Amino acid sequence: MSENIKAISMPKWGIEMTEGDVSEWHFAVGDQVNAGDDLVDIETSKIVNTLVAHSSGTLRRILAQPGETHKVGALLGVLVEGEATDVEIAEFIASASVSDAVVDIADEPASPGPNPAPAAPGPVVQETAAPAPAISTLAQGDDDSAVHASPVARKLAKKYGVNLHNVTPTGRHGRVGKRDLEDAIEKAGGHVERHSGAAVRGDRKRPDDSGIAATPVARRVAKKLGVNLHDCRASGRHGRVNKEDVEAAHALLSAAGKLPDQSALASAETVLSGLPRVEEFALTGMRKTIADRLQSSKQTAPHFRVKIDVELDNLLRVRSQINAANTDAKVSVNDFLIKACAMALVKEPGVNIQFDGDSIKQFADADISVAVAIDNGLITPIVKNANRLGLLEISNNMRDMVTRAKLGKLRPEEFQGGTFSISNLGMFGVSQFDAIINPPQGAILAVGAGEKRPVVKQDELCIMDVVTLTLSCDHRLIDGALAAKFLQRLKGYIQQPATMLS
Amino acid sequence: MSQRYDLIVVGGGPGGYIAAIRAAQLGFETALVEREQLGGVCLNWGCIPTKALLKGAEIAHTLTAMGNFGFSADNIQFDLSKLVAHSRNVAGRLTSGIDFLMKKNGISVISGTAVVSDKCQLTVTNDGNNKSIYQADHIILATGARARALPGIEFDGEYIWGAREAMTPVELPGRLLVIGSGAIGVEFSSLYSDLGSDVMVVEILDRILPAEDAEISAAAQQAFLKRGITIHTSTGVESLQIDNGEVAVTLKDRQGQLIPCVFDRVIVAAGIAGNIENLGLEELGVNTERGFIVTDDYCRTNLVGLYAIGDVAGPPCLAHKASHEGVLCVEKIAGLETHPLKPEQVPGCTYSRPQIASVGLTESQAKDRGHALRVGRFHYGANGKALAIGDSDGFVKTVFDADSGELLGAHMIGPDVTEQIQGYGIGRTLETTETELMASVFPHPTLSEAMHEAVLDAYGRALHQ
Repeated sequence: MSENIKAISMPKWGIEMTEGDVSEWHFAVGDQVNAGDDLVDIETSKIVNTLVAHSSGTLRRILAQPGETHKVGALLGVLVEGEATDVEIAEFIASASVSDAVVDIADEPASPGPNPAPAAPGPVVQETAAPAPAISTLAQGDDDSAVHASPVARKLAKKYGVNLHNVTPTGRHGRVGKRDLEDAIEKAGGHVERHSGAAVRGDRKRPDDSGIAATPVARRVAKKLGVNLHDCRASGRHGRVNKEDVEAAHALLSAAGKLPDQSALASAETVLSGLPRVEEFALTGMRKTIADRLQSSKQTAPHFRVKIDVELDNLLRVRSQINAANTDAKVSVNDFLIKACAMALVKEPGVNIQFDGDSIKQFADADISVAVAIDNGLITPIVKNANRLGLLEISNNMRDMVTRAKLGKLRPEEFQGGTFSISNLGMFGVSQFDAIINPPQGAILAVGAGEKRPVVKQDELCIMDVVTLTLSCDHRLIDGALAAKFLQRLKGYIQQPATMLS
Repeated sequence: MSQRYDLIVVGGGPGGYIAAIRAAQLGFETALVEREQLGGVCLNWGCIPTKALLKGAEIAHTLTAMGNFGFSADNIQFDLSKLVAHSRNVAGRLTSGIDFLMKKNGISVISGTAVVSDKCQLTVTNDGNNKSIYQADHIILATGARARALPGIEFDGEYIWGAREAMTPVELPGRLLVIGSGAIGVEFSSLYSDLGSDVMVVEILDRILPAEDAEISAAAQQAFLKRGITIHTSTGVESLQIDNGEVAVTLKDRQGQLIPCVFDRVIVAAGIAGNIENLGLEELGVNTERGFIVTDDYCRTNLVGLYAIGDVAGPPCLAHKASHEGVLCVEKIAGLETHPLKPEQVPGCTYSRPQIASVGLTESQAKDRGHALRVGRFHYGANGKALAIGDSDGFVKTVFDADSGELLGAHMIGPDVTEQIQGYGIGRTLETTETELMASVFPHPTLSEAMHEAVLDAYGRALHQ
């Protein structure tokens, strides 16, 4: 099998992900793809995420059409570095397809089969928004926004994680130029894609031309014509490839027959479009995730519930004191509950867990997932290390995440994971309810409305602000006594908020 | 009962309505509260209607010069009411355009006066004095500003005009005093002078257009004097009395000399004050300073969930700054990557005759910041297009950092400079050096060639002077 044929496979984002919906390709068959380009949008669980290309080449095949659902590891497309015949590509696809298939046709397991083809050349594609590997010695330093640098140098510095203070400027007027940056990276032991400035005609072995300095128009024309910028002269100012250079290279290469045959590409595409299209009504990615996760949770985790009434009077008093004393805060009852749960979880770490079916992970810090209703679904932004955060931090964190949750702008790491969940329907006037555990966690707290209720105290009837909390637990992991102990601690923190300071 | 939105904007001017549109685009459930008309001062009583009036002034001036082009005409009539009607008509059209944009973007427009009654809460009082409560995690104040009254000089709507009265005159004042020579004062002076009033400008500082480069101020003063406008700098208003249908004013210059004079009308354009009153700010402990709300780089106030943009958040009080902040503020809330607005990237324009436009640092500001400078100048008198259109007064000035070649500032006075300054604005945003500006081809014959020449001149390479 050709080493230069690379699989584009369905990635695995988070431990829960088993499949994804292909939403939209950013490139067409025949397009030149550069490492770092956004390749294809995939609707995973709660958001649309973008797969980024990790190597460069020509996108030769798209096997997964928009709207289709594919298992993790399934072959979505083929990227070819340099040259490969249609026969070689067909062989590659055939061997890869033994283990991967469109789930709607065959429900094969996603584990590598006898021919783990996509894995062989190494995963060419994986989820990442991270910059190119930073060279640690160059990354240190104060805010470098004041350093005089060319726009190109600044962009590259960001890409490579370089602080511009660490670069010796030799450009005009003492500006840090692109070359200075490249020199600094290489001196520190890093690697950068460099453009020699000389013409490298017909060299198809160097497909990544993202490092080549070119005018925006030249880059666009080159993409359209299928010309690699390495193959172009750089006659523009500052050694940039300009439009004329690209057109000249195109004329030369076409004459030499070195450009991909457009008609062959077109026919290959026709053959591939014969794959069955899923026409039936499908759940949105989010709905499907909710359905799958909660069905599996309710079926596999033996739920039991423990309920407790908690008086809120002290908490409400402290809350108004805090809010009156801080213009920059509007702490809600829910923010208090997040903090109180985190404190109780640290004391009862047996509840602060994740379970993968075999082993239990018990955490020292509490990452609290908070259910937030959004259009047509819900999402659970996570307050990480809530036990270490102050109330104001928790509150302002939550406001920011709730805002972005509604806009669909949470990052995956902000809602994937968590060691415990809170679901609050108090604002709807619900007295109490039961919640389904959010796997892989072991417990979830359902919070009703705080309301004035008659309470008997020392044989006297009095009126108190009371909320009913219902803890759902997975009995495989948490026993009744532990659940009760956790609720007792939680009640203590809520009824005596000052104890959270300890 | 209260209604909930994700984000509510208070004020429908160029800051507020732009913020609301951007918020709606990003998916916020958005409302906008406006107590008068959408569009704010800019569209209704500021930027746009004054440009409509100034077009009339320009025509008046063109008519005086028509002989140079071979035309003559008798009995030219001018109907002030028609010019004012044109101006109001333009304002009306734009306001309804914004109404359309609000509907198109699904923004709820709430008519009434808003008070921040608690954190993340507004109480809106409508015309019928009914109060409604609205909740939103994010509230953006874009309440704008108004002309600042001077002690002892009250706006009376008849003799003492603010911008609103100055924009809707019933008859031309024969003798007009304009107090203040910022952009607004200078524009009204230019307007009324072209229409035929006898105009005097009084400025407390030592030059007119004090925010501009000193050479620009000097050139503007010369041009206005040539037009017959009287100018008193370093002079204040000592007293002002309305008497028998006239305004008797005593001016006092720096030497203490008193200058008595009489006018038919007075326009006060001595700076503006932020609309920060009756918003509930004091009660909630929102920080204000010199009549404006204090905000950080991303328009956040010290109160949770409360933001301020545009004029009410402080100078430069310009519509385009407000719009830019509106977008910036909303995008920051939405978690998008944003960059704070640098004041020196905000261009300033004055639509007088001659026009004045600038971006970046003045020469003296650049010097004060310790830059070694290269300064270029080019006069329109040596520009072919300016001579052809018979409007060759003025010049272009560029200020470069001698070490880096960065264009620190650009200052223009002359024909249509307000339409051209953005060329330098883009250059500054891209951090271009003189090399790129010199290497760009400027079309011939255009006024913009003077921009090119002013760059060349900074490096001793001007071709036409």
